[in-house]
Amino acid sequence: MGQLEELRAAVVDGQKTTAVAKVTEALAAGLAPEKILQEGLIAAMGETGALYQAGEIFVPEMLVAARAMSAALAVLKPHLVAEGVPSRGKVVIGTVQGDLHDIGKNLVAMFLEGNGFEVVDLGVDVPPERFVAEVVNGAKAVALSALLTTTMVNMCDVISALVDANLREQVRVLVGGAPITTEYANEIGADGYARDASSAVELLCQLLEV
Amino acid sequence: MMSSRERVEAALSHREGDRVPLDLGATSCSGIHVSSLYALRQALGLDEPGTPVRVCEPFQMLGEVTPDLLDRLGIDAVRVGLPNNIYGFANDDWKPWTTSDGTPVLVPGQFPTEPELNGDLYMYPKGDRSAPPCARMPASGFYFDSITRQEPIDEDHLDPADNLEEFAPVDDEALEHVRREATRLGATGRALIGEFGGTSFGDAAFVPGPTLAHPRGIRDLEQWYMSLANRPEYVKEVFERQCEIGLSNLQRIHAVVGDSLSAVFITGTDFGTQGGPMIGPKTYRALFQPVHARINDWIHAHTSWKTFIHSCGSIWRLLDDIADAGFDVLNPVQTSAADMTPQGLKDRYGDRITFWGGGIDTQRVLPFGTPEDVRAMVKERLQIFGAGGGFVFNTIHNVQARVPVANVVALYEAVDEFRAYPFADTAARSLATGRS
Repeated sequence: MGQLEELRAAVVDGQKTTAVAKVTEALAAGLAPEKILQEGLIAAMGETGALYQAGEIFVPEMLVAARAMSAALAVLKPHLVAEGVPSRGKVVIGTVQGDLHDIGKNLVAMFLEGNGFEVVDLGVDVPPERFVAEVVNGAKAVALSALLTTTMVNMCDVISALVDANLREQVRVLVGGAPITTEYANEIGADGYARDASSAVELLCQLLEV
Repeated sequence: MMSSRERVEAALSHREGDRVPLDLGATSCSGIHVSSLYALRQALGLDEPGTPVRVCEPFQMLGEVTPDLLDRLGIDAVRVGLPNNIYGFANDDWKPWTTSDGTPVLVPGQFPTEPELNGDLYMYPKGDRSAPPCARMPASGFYFDSITRQEPIDEDHLDPADNLEEFAPVDDEALEHVRREATRLGATGRALIGEFGGTSFGDAAFVPGPTLAHPRGIRDLEQWYMSLANRPEYVKEVFERQCEIGLSNLQRIHAVVGDSLSAVFITGTDFGTQGGPMIGPKTYRALFQPVHARINDWIHAHTSWKTFIHSCGSIWRLLDDIADAGFDVLNPVQTSAADMTPQGLKDRYGDRITFWGGGIDTQRVLPFGTPEDVRAMVKERLQIFGAGGGFVFNTIHNVQARVPVANVVALYEAVDEFRAYPFADTAARSLATGRS
């Protein structure tokens, strides 16, 4: 098994220590950071997402894989920056105001990051103006999460705030969370709905054409 | 006419009684948010405007369903529990407070009513202000959520005892409370549902240690879910020891209440997400099923109680294993999640499992539909789940905040209109086919 294949397998299997060791070895062997990202981490996230969507792995396995990926990416990142490898775009993500749930949102953030996006995670209970500020700072997409029927309506406030700031046209908005549907995304004027972390990656690539 | 208890027990025995039994408030997963309760009581003319309602469950901010409302709606089941709430203090010393949407309520004395500078409310374990807060309600929020209090995890020295600090023998005072409540509430003729905690394995509401001043072990929910994959031996040990304590408590409780309970709430751990199971069947079978089966087997061998499992989300792929673990009752029957079709559930599990929930979609129809939508769904669900018994009408999980009161009124009007057995459609079908 080649180094990158071993890295990919370690991430899919959630073996954090091995994943970090494999990235370190690959760098020491002189492999290009971008190649490690593409063929190691992005490939691993793709495989993990596909296994989840096929119902072969579940939330615990997704979480350990995403954590292994994050740890490996932390080692790789300075090398990507040093080599001037561009990100696929800056995304701001957060759980909307009034809502404190974040496990699904964190998974999406880790998957986006593992797929080469620059992610600004604003956390939970995020007021609309903080999303707006990140769009002013160059975010190309806004990813909104809500778990509650009482807070999903607050997604509209973020979209309204983007409209009011004349920023809506320049940014893509994607939404997700248990009570959210494609119909709801359309109703509030979002650009799309993603049902899970790998769907969010696919949707964002499509919306940003990257 | 049957008594409420007879009606519930007929349903639990998969028989049609005189009408489909109705629950509102008999468990912490089948109640109503205090704001919606206030609005309902006002709409029904039960109170003068401004009359506060009590918060009986501060985590989800559930309101107390009092006897006048039980009578008015024809509710058949009530809850018997331990004296302390999820944060470890008693519901007493009531004081007034107003929720973020302006609802006048009464909250227990230990409930924090003074917001922080940012407007958030912080809850303290057992009301102990010297401990770090265990939960937070955002200024514009309607519920509390746990605050993660996680010590650094030392993988080489993980001790299952650290995740068991909150599980302890029920003391004599609590037992006496349970005995008194069972006697008092049993006299009303309603079915008693026991909810005593302690047997909910790996429940996201309890893993963070809401009653503990300084929780040890694995308390961060993300870490906990990961532990199911990468620390299974640790989790197994925690569950086995918790099971011993839980069984011993159930024995002590049975000794004081006997068979006066119709069912007992065993677990509220969520095994489903909107789109599919949260954990795989293999994980369920390896970690959860053995302890679930031990609890269910003991109850079935020693009591007349039925056993009740609550799990949100899409659990279709886990239901064979859950049924095999011996559960009698499933709640909240989240038909709005993937694969959870009412007819599919009834056809496959209707002879083994009583559905306690599934009566109305609380994610879409109840909060965002019209009263006509509500009425149509209630009628349909009563017909599907109620056929042949095995159904206690309840909303899918608690009635949440921000639900139009006209929809809540329409809900209970429709239940009242369509809950009587035999169902007209069923009777007509029987007549047409010559079957009774």
